[in-house]
Formats: sequence, C-alpha cells, structure tokens
Amino acid sequence: MSAYSELVKSFERIRAYMREFYVYGFKSRDDYNRKSARSYDDERRRMESWLGEHMSFVRTPEGKNVFISIDSRSSRHNPFYNAWKAKSFTDGDITLHFIIFDILYSPEVRYTLSDIMKMIDGEYLEGFSSPLMLDESTVRKKLKEYCEEGIITTEKQGRKVFYHRTESPDIEALGDVLDFYSEVAPCGVIGSFLLDKGGAHSESFTFKHHYITSAMDSGVLVGLLDAMQKKSVVTVSNLSRKCDEPRRNRIIPLRIFISVQNGRQHLLAYQPDFDCIKSFRIDFLSDVRIEEPTPRFDELRAQLDGMQSKMWGVNIKRSRHGEEKLEHVEFTVRVESGEDYIVRRLEREKRIGKIERLDDFTYRFTADVYESNEMIPWLRTFICRITHMSFSNRTVENLFKSDIKEMYRMYGIEADV
Amino acid sequence: MIFSELYSAYYNTVASIISRLLDGENDEKKLHQIVSEKAFGESALTILPALKGEKWQLMRSDMTTAISRKPTMPLTLLQRRWLKAISLDLRIKLFGVEFEGLDGVEPLFTANDYLIYDRYSDGDPFDDEGYINRFRFILAAIRERAPIKIALSNKDGNSTFTKCIPIRLEYSEKDDKFRLITGGCHFLPVINLSKVTSCSRYNGEYKISTNQRDVQYRTVTMEITDERNALERVMLHFAHFEKRAEKLDGNRYTVKIKYDSNDESEIVIRVLSFGPLVRVTEPSRFVNLIKDRLIRQKNCNLR
Repeated sequence: MSAYSELVKSFERIRAYMREFYVYGFKSRDDYNRKSARSYDDERRRMESWLGEHMSFVRTPEGKNVFISIDSRSSRHNPFYNAWKAKSFTDGDITLHFIIFDILYSPEVRYTLSDIMKMIDGEYLEGFSSPLMLDESTVRKKLKEYCEEGIITTEKQGRKVFYHRTESPDIEALGDVLDFYSEVAPCGVIGSFLLDKGGAHSESFTFKHHYITSAMDSGVLVGLLDAMQKKSVVTVSNLSRKCDEPRRNRIIPLRIFISVQNGRQHLLAYQPDFDCIKSFRIDFLSDVRIEEPTPRFDELRAQLDGMQSKMWGVNIKRSRHGEEKLEHVEFTVRVESGEDYIVRRLEREKRIGKIERLDDFTYRFTADVYESNEMIPWLRTFICRITHMSFSNRTVENLFKSDIKEMYRMYGIEADV
Repeated sequence: MIFSELYSAYYNTVASIISRLLDGENDEKKLHQIVSEKAFGESALTILPALKGEKWQLMRSDMTTAISRKPTMPLTLLQRRWLKAISLDLRIKLFGVEFEGLDGVEPLFTANDYLIYDRYSDGDPFDDEGYINRFRFILAAIRERAPIKIALSNKDGNSTFTKCIPIRLEYSEKDDKFRLITGGCHFLPVINLSKVTSCSRYNGEYKISTNQRDVQYRTVTMEITDERNALERVMLHFAHFEKRAEKLDGNRYTVKIKYDSNDESEIVIRVLSFGPLVRVTEPSRFVNLIKDRLIRQKNCNLR
C-alpha cells in the first residue's frame, strides 16, 4: 500500500471529485461509490490541502458532506488552478531538473550529454551521503523530454549533439496581462503558470459572472485546441449521461462553444460515422489523442460558420436524411413607458434573432433556429410581459405554457387576478 | 503536456528555497515560510524533509547547495503558444504591451477556434482609442492608489463629475464590460468604464478616503425538483456564488445562494429562467418578487 501524498500522477481522477464537490456539494462519503472509501478520503484530503479555506463540510443524518464554496467574484485567481500544480514526480526528476538548468544556465552555454554527465557526478552529487544514481540513459531521457517541452534545444555539430536552454521571452512587464487573461482566456491555467514565475505585483482585476469550473477541463481543451491548429482528427472518450461507460469517438474538432451564462463548454465537431456536425460537452470528454491531419477541416468549419446563424445555443438538428430542419420562434413583449432597459435587453441579448417595434408598447422577437427548446430559459426571463408567442414546434410552446401554469400553482396564483 | 511537474507548486517552492540558500539565508523558519506561501496546506510535511533527508539532492546537510545560480527555466512551448494566442486578442490593446520572442510561434488558439455564444452584444469598445487611453490611465492610477477626477455621462446623456481613489477593475464576461470599483465615492461606488468620458489626476487638497462601499449580501433559498436535468443545470448556473446544497428527499434538493443585493433583479430573472423546476422558499420578500412577476404575466392573457 503506497503512502499518501498530496501530489497525484493523473489528473482525471481528481477532476471528477472536484466537480462533484464544487457543483453539487451535498453528497456524503457513502454516495461516492465509484472508488474505495480510502480513495475518497485521499482525494478529499488532497483537495483540502490545495484549496484550503474554500473547502467546507456539514454534518447531515447521512454523514459528513464535503463541499467547495467559492464566491468567484471575490477571488482574484481561480483556486482550482492549484490542482494543476500538483503533479507527482520522482526524487531523480526534481534533482535532475535543477541540476540541468544550473549547468545550462544561459542559451549560449552548450554541452554534450557526456559533458553534462561528468558535471553531474563531479560537481552536483558530491557531498551527499548516498548520491543518487543518475545514469546516462536517465539524463538523455530527461533532456529529450525537455526538448519536447521546448525548454531545451539541441544542435548537431558533426557527430556531436549539443544541448542548450531555449531562448525565452521576457514576461516581466506582463503582470496585468497575465492577471486578466489567466481568468478570461481559454486554458487560463497556463497564464497562472506564467504568473508563478514572476514576482509579487499589485493585482488590479476582479471578475463578475465568473465560472471557474472550466479550469478542470483545461487538459482536454488544450488537446482540442491543438488539434484544431493542426487541422487534425482526434479520438476522444465521451461519457454521456445516457451510458455508464465512456465511448471512444473519432471526430474532427471544429470549434469550442463557451457559455458565459451557465459555465458550460461544448465542442462542435464533425462525426464521420454519422456524417454530421454535433456538440459534445467538454466536461464529459477525456483522453484526447491527436491523429492525422484531415483535408476536410476548412470545408467543415465553413459549414459550421454557415450553421451558426441558425443556432441559439449549441444544438444542431437535422432530419434523418441530413436535411436542415428549422423551427420558427416568435414572441411579443409589452414594454411600459420608462422601461427602455427592456428594449436594450432585447437588443443586446437577441443573438441571431430579430427585434421589431410593433407600437409604442410592444416589441416582437423572431428567429429561425435548429432547436427552439434552447431558447426557453431566456424567454422565461421575460415573464411578466409576454403577450403573445408562436412556436412552430408546438410541443415546446405547449410545454412553456403549461410550465407557466405550474408556476402559478406553485406560488398560489390560481385564481384570476 | 499541461499536467506536468514543470509547472508544479513543489518545483516553484524548491526554486525559491535554493534562491534563498544562495542568498546565504538558511534559517529553517524562513524556509518553512516559503513552503507555506508557495505550496499547499500539507507540503511542509514533504518539501523540507525531502531536501534535508537528501531524497532530493539539492541541499546538503549543512544547508548549502551545489546549485550555483538562482534557478530559472525558459518558457515551455505550451506557455509561448498560449502567450502568442492572447497577444492576438482584441482586448490586448488595452494593456499597451509588446510581446517579444514569439516570432514563429504557433498560437495555441485563435479567435476562430472558439465562440462565446451567449455574451451580450453591447460590450465595451475595446478598439476605441479614447477608451484605451482611459483604461490605461485608470489601471496605472489603481497601481499607485492615486486620486483621480472622472467625468462621465449619465443615463440622460448629461455629464457628471466625481473624485475617487480607483480600487480595482471588475470585468464581467457575460456583459463584456469593465467596471471601476471606487474608494471614497459613496454615490458612485461602481462606474461603468464605457461611461467615463475623461479622467485626470486629482491634485486638490480634498483628502479622498480609500473606503469602499460595503457589499450588502442577501441569501435566497430555492427548492429544486430534479427533472429535465434541472439539478445539474441549476448548480452549474449558480456555481459562481457562495452556496450550500442539501438533498431533501427523492428528487428534491434545496440550495441557498448568497448574492450582492445590488444584483437582485438579475437573480430574480435567473431563478425564473428555470421555470417550475425551481421554487423560491425563502425569504418571503424574494418569493413576493417572483409572485409579482407571475401575477403581471397572468394579466398579459397569454393564450
């Protein structure tokens, strides 16, 4: 049985736990039945170690419930990034890391592997009671790994291979840029890694409506973005709500769709097996493997560009024969005098829809979309002023109306007012 | 690879410890302090014992190190690619910085690779020269905590003036807007940056305090019926608030959310967006806000 460590080898295990603790937070230890009780205890302890004061617990009749509660408006940096800084390593890894960069201390300093080996043995491990055995193949492997990470470069002179550190941009003046983009750009955790390299500086930004859960999906996102840059096919595991085991999918990633109103991220990708573009929730994806480049990437992305004018959210609906099936949506709202902010709301929130002024007090929204159901939560935000609605998908319209009736009942507004 | 020890809190902490040793500082208490500042809650149990016990052969028993220079590491390719990507973002002009050493680096992503599909369309004018200049001026004043004078246009289009200490800039991803949080300006504790028409240093004799408006928090308790995946949708939607959730029975859950009282109207419509799957139970004042909207809706005679 290995001893507990606050570091982990794989992020995937911790990813699921963090999401459950943060998003839900009402489950007791017994509810986490996927892994052993010891595994639960270890993951909880790790998260307490990484997230400190953000972890809380409450005792209920079912047991102790651990949860993560963060008002992201009061945090200047996403606390979940800490989890990405907890990768485990060996004693040799860390020792060798600092020795290599001490030997290769500037881009002008170049040494062969045998030069480096001599220095390690002669200068760095002397004076220790049991010096680590760092053999040539271990050091070569580490240097190769660092070449792949882009921090070491090789140069061949005749038959000799020289290693030197890579030139690095100066990020000294980027404190504000990194504070901002580490929170708002895709894969912001990379900005957080860069901030760790710099010294202390005054922090000038906070963030409102700030969803921080996407930090947990940064690994998947990096893979998908990289694949798009390479215009490549990927294989990826997808754990949908409909099945217990993840399925391996071969897809062409086309674009990431990010919501700043519900914190979800989707991948829009072409699925060759079904000859269609569809959306995948990124928090359900794992193990992205980049395969070969595809000549169809530009054509498929252009196809998605064309579809976006008919998408309210992330869904694309097509008939079984691949024909586009659009749903017409129309509703009117009443705007009293002094309620110009409602008109401004309609204008700024209409996305692909159209707003028309019918008279001094009535405005009409119209759109043709793949999936009118996606629009319902937004439509409900106008409750108190919806005077007319007409959806070509009658099921969606009827559900909306019966939901309103149910709300009247829930809040005791049964009788005519 | 994004999950790598190269970015780990442990490597950064050990780099700081080595730098301190090279400065001739080997007081163990101070080294412990580095660990508690730079690493995690339980790291003290590992880092110094691993160094002192020569598991990590970077510090000798006499608290000296064979490392001869303060540790540094070049940026990884992933870091350079991410920097290149943000150097191409529209908002980068706000910061007035140059990115050097990124020639020939492929960006990790471009604006074409992602779409924020539900962002409001009336965001701040990030490519307007005047806006950019005011942003930079205010950002510099925040760093220096320098008093400033601001002219801004109010909702009627008239100009109004104020003096304040700029405290910080708050960015909303949904609104795509910056707001200035002010100190010593009680009637304008928050100013939309796009409303600012001019700003300058205040050199007058009036002493402006740095006191900020206290945020008045309120809570709302909601009962969720977990149908149509409502539980997950609600919990994700309200994930950015401080909150507590409990299971009641069967498919019913209760969630308590803490919010800024200034945002109450927004919270009301966000709750309404979940329809009958979310019922507000407390406080009665909030319940009445929902009821009021429903009564008005009923009067609309939607058939």
